[in-house]
Amino acid sequence: MDTFIQQLINGLSLGSLYALIAVGYTVVYGILQLINFAHGEVFMIGAFGALSTSLVLFRGTTALWTLPVMIIGAVIASVTTAVLMERFAYRPLRHAPRLAPLITAIGISVFLQELVRLNYNQVPFTSWNPFDLPDAKSIIPFPSIDVVTGPAIQMGGVTIQREAIFTIGALIVCSALLWWFINHTKMGHGMQAVSQDQDTARLMGINVDRIIVVAFALGAVLAAVAGVAQGLQNHNINFRMGFLAGLKAFVAAVLGGIGNVAGAVVGGLVLGVIEAMATQYIPGQFGGSPWKDVWAFVLLILVLVFRPQGLLGEKAVDRA
Amino acid sequence: MITFPPAIVAKHSAKALPMGLAGAGLLVIGSLLSWSYDSQVLGDLSIAFNPGGLQIMAIALALLAIILLLAHKGPLTSLGQWADTERGVHALADWTLIFMAVVVVTITAEAGGLINVQPGCWISLLGAVLLFLASRLLLAKKTRDLAEAVLPGWVEILAIVVIMAALLFGTAYALSLADAMVFVLFLVFVTGMAIAGTRAGLMSWLGHVSLRRKRELILAAFAVAFCFPLTQGGSDANMSIASQVLVFAAAAMGLNIVVGLAGLLDLGYIAFLGSGAYVGATLSSSGFATIGWKPPFFVVVLVAACFTATLGLIIGAPTLRVSGDYLAIVTLGFGEIFRLTMFNLDGNNGPDLTHGPNGIPAIPDLSFGSFNFGDTHVLLGVPIARFSNYYLLLLLLLAFIILVFHRLNTSRIGRGWVAIREDEKAAEAMGVNVFGLKLLAFATGAFLAGMAGAIKAHQDVSVTPDQYIFLESAFLLAAIVLGGMGTIVGVLVGAVILKLLPEKLRFFADYRLLLFGLLLVLMMRFRPEGLVASRRRQLEFHEEDEELAVRVEGDIAEEVQG
Amino acid sequence: MHQRSVVQVGASLLIVSLALSACGSRSDTKTATNGNKTAVIGVMAPLSGDLSALGLGIQHSVELAVKQANANNTIPGWTLKVEAKDDEGKPDVGKNAATAFAGESNVAGVVGNLNSSVAQSTQPVLATAKIVQVSPANTNPSLTQGANFATTPVRTYATYFRTCTTDAVQGPFAARYLFQKAGFKKVATIHDKKAYGQGLVAAFSKEFTALGGTITAAETINPDESNYQSVISKVKPTAPQAVYYGGEYPQSGPLSQQMKAAGLNVPLMGGDGIYDPKFIVLAGTTANGDLATSVGAPTDSLPAGKKFLADYAAAGYKEPAAAYGAYSYDAANAIINALKVSLKGATDVASTRQATIDALGKVSFDGITGKVAFDKYGDSVSRVLTVYKVTDLKWAPVLTEAFK
Repeated sequence: MDTFIQQLINGLSLGSLYALIAVGYTVVYGILQLINFAHGEVFMIGAFGALSTSLVLFRGTTALWTLPVMIIGAVIASVTTAVLMERFAYRPLRHAPRLAPLITAIGISVFLQELVRLNYNQVPFTSWNPFDLPDAKSIIPFPSIDVVTGPAIQMGGVTIQREAIFTIGALIVCSALLWWFINHTKMGHGMQAVSQDQDTARLMGINVDRIIVVAFALGAVLAAVAGVAQGLQNHNINFRMGFLAGLKAFVAAVLGGIGNVAGAVVGGLVLGVIEAMATQYIPGQFGGSPWKDVWAFVLLILVLVFRPQGLLGEKAVDRA
Repeated sequence: MITFPPAIVAKHSAKALPMGLAGAGLLVIGSLLSWSYDSQVLGDLSIAFNPGGLQIMAIALALLAIILLLAHKGPLTSLGQWADTERGVHALADWTLIFMAVVVVTITAEAGGLINVQPGCWISLLGAVLLFLASRLLLAKKTRDLAEAVLPGWVEILAIVVIMAALLFGTAYALSLADAMVFVLFLVFVTGMAIAGTRAGLMSWLGHVSLRRKRELILAAFAVAFCFPLTQGGSDANMSIASQVLVFAAAAMGLNIVVGLAGLLDLGYIAFLGSGAYVGATLSSSGFATIGWKPPFFVVVLVAACFTATLGLIIGAPTLRVSGDYLAIVTLGFGEIFRLTMFNLDGNNGPDLTHGPNGIPAIPDLSFGSFNFGDTHVLLGVPIARFSNYYLLLLLLLAFIILVFHRLNTSRIGRGWVAIREDEKAAEAMGVNVFGLKLLAFATGAFLAGMAGAIKAHQDVSVTPDQYIFLESAFLLAAIVLGGMGTIVGVLVGAVILKLLPEKLRFFADYRLLLFGLLLVLMMRFRPEGLVASRRRQLEFHEEDEELAVRVEGDIAEEVQG
Repeated sequence: MHQRSVVQVGASLLIVSLALSACGSRSDTKTATNGNKTAVIGVMAPLSGDLSALGLGIQHSVELAVKQANANNTIPGWTLKVEAKDDEGKPDVGKNAATAFAGESNVAGVVGNLNSSVAQSTQPVLATAKIVQVSPANTNPSLTQGANFATTPVRTYATYFRTCTTDAVQGPFAARYLFQKAGFKKVATIHDKKAYGQGLVAAFSKEFTALGGTITAAETINPDESNYQSVISKVKPTAPQAVYYGGEYPQSGPLSQQMKAAGLNVPLMGGDGIYDPKFIVLAGTTANGDLATSVGAPTDSLPAGKKFLADYAAAGYKEPAAAYGAYSYDAANAIINALKVSLKGATDVASTRQATIDALGKVSFDGITGKVAFDKYGDSVSRVLTVYKVTDLKWAPVLTEAFK
């Protein structure tokens, strides 16, 4: 029983990360029908933003009060990236066939990964490193903030990581704020309207362009929080961390029902738990963590074949 | 570019021709003399009346200028009706001036001082300047529509042969250049000739000729590609890269069937190439191969292709009902599943089929009877070493794949794919077997990739999961998008550019992926249909453009005629 | 008008030919200015990426050896040059680097690789070109003794040698330390599935069980992962007294930290792959008590080693010599000693390659890591190993012994 609860907690912690990133995918897809392939990179840049804030402003300190500042730093980094991405890469392609934005997204993803890898610790074309940032070509240790990291809490036979508590807590807080934003603010209502019918929304006087920017920014904020959470969990970050996390988050979004924010959260948690259970309970040679990612993708295929609208989506008439 | 005000042009235009001819003449004379005192600079340019490579290039530029000038106003005006000589000379003179200026600067910089620049070089420079001024004084002319220019058939075929031969020997010459600055100047030379030719209408005419003589053009292209190893003089260094380019091009052509023809977005295509390679490796006589059966190579290729095609069917069956974006992510997922499976089957997490991350190294060379691909054979007096052998085999494979592509494209199946691409619902309503055709596209693409993969395993000597990561799929897709989806030439061009340039532009090595990402973004923003656009695609991407529609109609009519 | 798309065809053909032309920029093969002929010693190691700390140490140590050889005119009539190629720790990239070396006619020998999995791909390429390859760091026994090294050792590649000892020695050495000196009877093993880690753990487990110990869990991780919670959750219930890890520091550092934070507060022990200061940085403040073995005695414990470190510092290289600097130095000198014999009176490098192979098999000198000589398989005759422990967040040697 203990093992089950242990893996359940592992799964929820992992799933919270997926959920936070998945919201970004689902919100953008709901409004633009665009899979923002580069969203994983927004997550990665958020993590790097937090790291930079910590190194530049608080080098050497691991006190708890630095954490909110780090989160703010992460949010600034990722929102800037997302907004610039939307403005310069996606907006001109609003009316292009579906292939164009997808390829653009792949291009942006590769570009951002390399940009961080090459230029994190030096201004482009120079070797000027004013803040003495570490080299991003190999993995970089992430600061261990007091209270949210450290020895795990033992409850009977179950080990609960402090970082897991932080991650799940962050998801709860962010979900609450998100729900309030979408249902009780004008912007939120605007987003719902635009995702239902863009043209009518425009006729109703909603500034669709601004709503789209807000959608990107919203996804970016949550991705930034996820970035900080992952950094705290793994105690290191690297420029490649966005790729797989982004893919899994997309699986989560589809699992929950793409376009549906609650679905993204649920999908993320379900995916995380399934992965954790698979690593524990699948016997023999095909069990264990090396096959974890494979199960996630198999799940994606199963969902798309048997229930394409996801767990919480309504059955759309025309799926083709 | 710099031009004179119209008043001056009108006043002095009569002087343009003699000035131009004088300039070209000086260029020739100067090039026959010595350019540089120091014989180490820019490949020996120091001996009079023994022109070095660069001097010959300058003479060639001058001769072209003379022809164009005489076509403008003089004995060759019958040619001049068709050629826009004014713009041609304009461009040629620009580049000749750049050429000579760079030569002077380079000699000065590398030999250490202006004193090293001999009188011959100054004469040539003066000639270039005169030519430049003259070009600015030429009057513009009307030209006739090149579509109407019809020369006897043998002239056209000869033209194709000449151009192809020039490509071949030009490339071989460029490859033999050791000095970086000579190479840069060669680029300037080629650019100058090309732009002059384009402006003068030469390229248009060639385009019309190639439309009419498609078959000869393709034959000539293949002959050139086939002769490429013969120009290497036995050196295998470049053939290694050339054969890698061919594998990439073969895979891209296979993907072109899936993405370009059928419009199915496949982001996991590298898995098919990998599956062919792993089957080829496992059935080879490598010491690390895990299966005991060692069939002859033809059987291996067939097995690899069929296995991969089955994989394609397995992937296709559940996923082809979903729409474009989802299909992309699902195929990406499959690509990752493949890679992870190859990574895990090492005895710890699955039966030991692939040795996990270490892969299967030490794959021996192919050998058909006594013909071993690892040995150096002699063809027409030229030694053909290991990579050249693989190059020729891959060329055959590529020819086969292009043939398959072309036949499918022009068949009922191809038309069915076009219909599916444009509007699936309508196609289904019209009785097109949408699901069956989609599955066929997947299976065919997979089959061809499997064949290419089997050869790749032997060429690469080792097969590891790292070679089949998502980024490679992205490169394949980018090659198609960059070159022009659905066209044969486009995809070949895209594949060559994307595989070759990073290999060779070493100083960009670090920034390679950064530029790749940027390139994708810019391409989709400004020219989403690719470099060599299929007209249909162009229409798809530029729906609002009326002019384009009219143009495309005209082109298609002409092609049908020829 | 058809002009535009035709221009595109024309431009494309042009670009193709230009791109092909770009093949042409070959490096210059001028002779050295003092009239000496040039021979190149190549270096293949991860110069970028996670393991670059080790790779750059290898590169600079070889450069130091070559610099000193040129200054002392060790091979009269010849100047030595170093050409380093990055193998990124990946078999594929390494193979391309080896192919490039094989195509150059003045490469006399190569020092490399760092990773056993990379060497598996580069060995056949260099062997076909008959270029000697001396590795300062490959520890997998199958590289010199073939796939069945335990039962029927056979030397597959006559061109491959190494100055460090093998995992057939390192694994059991660690097993004996943990069982006899540290008194741990129950150990869990984890490896990263690559040739090095897997081989090391296999050798360790065999000896450990033969001594009477128990392996409580045998798990694997995916080196691309950075979150090891699921593996730790599987290992923890089996209550091991230590965890033996086969792999390198970019994974073992975070593994150690996550292990301790999850409550599995036991020492992590690894092989030479984790013996690097970066391990401690990544493992964080809980790293004290972790153990590693490394080939050879600590560099600064021998007088020759101290001199090497002093020379290295004086040469001003940005990165430290790291774990394999001393072995690379000895590897380079082994090649240089062989070249002393084979290049004598020769006019070019390519014709002397077989002679270099023969000469290298016979070298014997006192290097900075001890005696440098090779047995009939190409393995080093010296089997000294050291156990290091993290104390005060630094590696400190605990035990140095020759394995019998």
